[in-house]
Amino acid sequence: MTNLFASDPAAVAQEAKIENDDVVIAKSRIILRRFLRNRTAVAGLAIFLALTLLSFIGGFFSGWDKEAIDPLNIGTPPSGEHLLGTSQAGIDLYALTVEGTRISILIGLVVGLVSVLIAAVYGCTMAYFGGKVDKVMLFILEALIMMPALLVVAVATSGGGIGLKKNLPSWLLLIIVLLVFSWMGTARLIRSLSLSLMQRDFVKAARYMGVPPRRIVWRHLVPNIGSLLVLDITRGVTGAILAEVAFSFIGIGIKVPDVSLGVLIGQATSQVSTFPWMFWVPLAVMFLLTGSLAMMNDGLRDAFDPSSGSIGSANGSARTGKTQKTAKKKST
Amino acid sequence: MSGETAPVPAGTPGAPGAVERLHVAGLHAASDAVLSVRDLNVRFNTENGVLHAVRGVDFDLLPGKTLGIVGESGSGKSVTSLAVMGLLPDTAEVNGSVRLLGTELLGLGDKAMCRYRGNDIAMVFQDPLSSLTPVYTVGNQVIEALTVHNPTMSKHAKEARAVELLGLVGIPSPRDRLKAFPHEFSGGMRQRVMIAIAIANNPRVLIADEPTTALDVTIQAQVLEVLHTAQEETGAAVVMITHDLGVVAGMADDIMVMYAGKPVEAGTVDDIYYNPRMPYTMGLLGAVPRVDIAEKSSLVPIEGIPPDLVRAPTGCSFAPRCPLASDACLAGEPALSGVSGSPGHTAACIKSDALDGADVHEIFAAPAVPVSRLDAIPRSGRKAVLELRDVKKHFPLTKGALIKRRIGTVKAVDGLSFDIREGECFSIVGESGCGKTTTLLEIMEFHRDQDGEVIIGGLSNKAAAGARTTAAMRRELQMVFQDPTGALDPRFTVYEVLAEPLETSGMARPAIRKRILELMDLVGLQPDHVNRFPNQFSGGQRQRIGIARALAVNPRLVVLDEPVSALDVSVQAGVINLLDQLRAELGLSYLVVAHDLSVVRHISNRVAVMYLGKIVEIGDVDRVFDFPRHPYTRALLSAIPVPDPHLERSRERIILKGELPSPLDAPTGCNFASRCPVFAALPAAQQEKCLTLEPPLEPEQPAAVPASSSPAAPGAAPDQQFACFYPDGELAADLLVVHEPGPIIHQNNPHQKKKGTP
Repeated sequence: MTNLFASDPAAVAQEAKIENDDVVIAKSRIILRRFLRNRTAVAGLAIFLALTLLSFIGGFFSGWDKEAIDPLNIGTPPSGEHLLGTSQAGIDLYALTVEGTRISILIGLVVGLVSVLIAAVYGCTMAYFGGKVDKVMLFILEALIMMPALLVVAVATSGGGIGLKKNLPSWLLLIIVLLVFSWMGTARLIRSLSLSLMQRDFVKAARYMGVPPRRIVWRHLVPNIGSLLVLDITRGVTGAILAEVAFSFIGIGIKVPDVSLGVLIGQATSQVSTFPWMFWVPLAVMFLLTGSLAMMNDGLRDAFDPSSGSIGSANGSARTGKTQKTAKKKST
Repeated sequence: MSGETAPVPAGTPGAPGAVERLHVAGLHAASDAVLSVRDLNVRFNTENGVLHAVRGVDFDLLPGKTLGIVGESGSGKSVTSLAVMGLLPDTAEVNGSVRLLGTELLGLGDKAMCRYRGNDIAMVFQDPLSSLTPVYTVGNQVIEALTVHNPTMSKHAKEARAVELLGLVGIPSPRDRLKAFPHEFSGGMRQRVMIAIAIANNPRVLIADEPTTALDVTIQAQVLEVLHTAQEETGAAVVMITHDLGVVAGMADDIMVMYAGKPVEAGTVDDIYYNPRMPYTMGLLGAVPRVDIAEKSSLVPIEGIPPDLVRAPTGCSFAPRCPLASDACLAGEPALSGVSGSPGHTAACIKSDALDGADVHEIFAAPAVPVSRLDAIPRSGRKAVLELRDVKKHFPLTKGALIKRRIGTVKAVDGLSFDIREGECFSIVGESGCGKTTTLLEIMEFHRDQDGEVIIGGLSNKAAAGARTTAAMRRELQMVFQDPTGALDPRFTVYEVLAEPLETSGMARPAIRKRILELMDLVGLQPDHVNRFPNQFSGGQRQRIGIARALAVNPRLVVLDEPVSALDVSVQAGVINLLDQLRAELGLSYLVVAHDLSVVRHISNRVAVMYLGKIVEIGDVDRVFDFPRHPYTRALLSAIPVPDPHLERSRERIILKGELPSPLDAPTGCNFASRCPVFAALPAAQQEKCLTLEPPLEPEQPAAVPASSSPAAPGAAPDQQFACFYPDGELAADLLVVHEPGPIIHQNNPHQKKKGTP
């Protein structure tokens, strides 16, 4: 047993080398580095964080709040008193935008996180049980995908959901409805990913060692789809914000007196030419929000993907194709 | 991508100066070299810094000659070939000089390179399964190669040429096969098509990057023959890149051994194989087990891993692994310099002159052959740890989308019986698709509904009532996987990896910790490495972790699925030695599945040769390998290239026709009859017997035993059984290939029987 060691001086030296130099880099650090290498993505992250911060503390910078009506300034353009002007009801647009942004981000984050969580549990369960359970769960999933989400949202938030409406604020109701309809795609993806992971040798090895299946799912499957989950969370947040805006815009999402970016945009559409600031300000905020998330998502994907170009090049003249690509994405 | 300012370095102002300098220095070879590479350097960026992957490669390729580039993975051999072809990504920095027929290739844009690629210089890639586009017919892809470089050629002429090419590479009925899609071809056939495409425009240089690594040995032998033919037909110079010293031994004229991005030894084949002067080359040659010799010495392990090329080595790059390294080796990297006594032979070692005739086993301190206490007990006196009785695994083959009807049965495993005794290593060999892995899975699955009986350590699958029996069986039997990377969860530390089986068996936490440290010690890993992740280890170390995990619960039988095929030669030797030692020290039994017969010969005591789900020959390993009786065993053994140029050039090879038959039209009589070289030479009357009756697996009839020279059991009946009616039959002459001894002369060879006859 010992002579194995004795014949190993070169290996020992090698180990010492690995120990001392930073040959071994933690994966999280590599991903962070690759993410930071993508400047667009970092800019996206910065914008998103700034907007989130603003939506929480922005209210303190202005004397007006979203309930206060200024009868002297009804529908006035931006001025010294009202930075972004006022709405037709005479409410400070800055206060409304801050409040709307907060609601939108809240909806986005909650729906993005929770839907991915539901999807992970549902997808892994399908893959783990397989057989009949898989078939039934897949059927439910397909049925949900085929259900017209728009109609359900309309019914739930207006006529049909009167009982609910009494007890819940409209944004919470919208979150619930959005959650029901947002996790299916991810769940299918996670199911197929887990199925392929089940075929991997290390899962097989665990099975042949007699490790119970539930532990295999929890210890081997879930951590290994982690990077996909992170990506899906950012994607889900964007999707939820857009859905909220769209539903509120057509009048079936958030209901006044609650405000959101979608509500603000929807209210202002009819008078874009007369009160342009009411339309453009919330629209610009929405673009910043979803755009920053898209930029981040792009960078995250490249950071997780080992074959992407974010490794940088040997001759210094790197970052040509990729920055162009993201720039294009931003402009669309 | 090509529209951007392609940052190919030779386009920068510095590079022409470098070329000029090389010119002035007279470094460029005489104009008779078709391909001449000088001072080639390639750099990539990585997370750790700039990786200097190729560091100054020089070689000249003369027309009609074959240069073998040999090295471990990461030595820069493939990157060199890609740099020559101009196929490296834009992110790589390439400089130096690559001249094809006197024209500088480096610095040419993609468009300009396309004039040369596939025309004057062509490439055959490693993986034939992914090198052909699946949506186009094979003919289409051959014709495409012709169209690109001969726009004026008529459609008819191109088709005729495509047929001719496919015939040349030995594809039967090439005219019909033009319209076939790649998925209708097997791996070997696809590699033939790749070769046809590569030689379509009569290239002057053919680069083959591990052309046979993904193929079975019998198919490898066929493809190497095709390459040989192709070279003769086109007169092309060939660059053969491989890690297998056997493959190039018979083919190459010159060899260049690469290590850490640099050539460390170059010379003629004979120089390199018979008189290596660089410790690395010597180690490589000593690390390869030989299929033709019953060796009783351990393999030479080269400890350590190749250097990290992110940092420029200050001394000899091999010094950290070299047993002969002294302080002088650490001062400056030695350049390739001539070796005294053999002109044209260069080695990058300051001690090269002292190494003449040195014994590699002494230099590398190969460990002593471990002896197991069980070796002394005769086989019949040991307990059986695994017994298989008539195990079958048939898969139904169905067709139809809505209503599936059964159109046949795939007999993946068809009535297998064998046993493994304590302290014994039993191997199953055969081509891919012969059912060896299915056999392993059948053993691992271990449930009651299996067809046939599996008895593991006295527990039969027929009696496997519940979880308890299965759990007991899992403690007897553990598995080591082929791919050490895939078999370890990337998110587990080594501690977690090793703890998993122990936790499952219900061991207490402090005991687990103690056991893990023991295991690390056992497989030769540093105990403080338990907190690392698998990706922080080299391939050999990962396989050691896999072995440690298998040994965690003290099993009596370890099942190893191709345990070393994913490892480099030098690392492979270390793992094989470890397996040998563990078997002796712990009294383990192994069941090994492998396609590499040299490895099998080295580690096993007994061997079974499988063909189409059946064992065709079984017995003591030396007996089977030295006196193979079944024609398939003979063909399999003869297909393996031996790292000995003289032997390789002169020995007789049986080149089997075709590939494994489809399981659908499995023959009724002897499975092997369709490819059998003996069968082909039999008179029709005797052929009848092969076609109708299934030969049973029996020991040799006493009368036919050749002069009793069995090393296993002198006097007694040798431990060998085979399933063939005519083990002594003549081999069909047209299936035998002998290359002329002596230097390969690239003229029309009388033995080239693969010539297409369209």
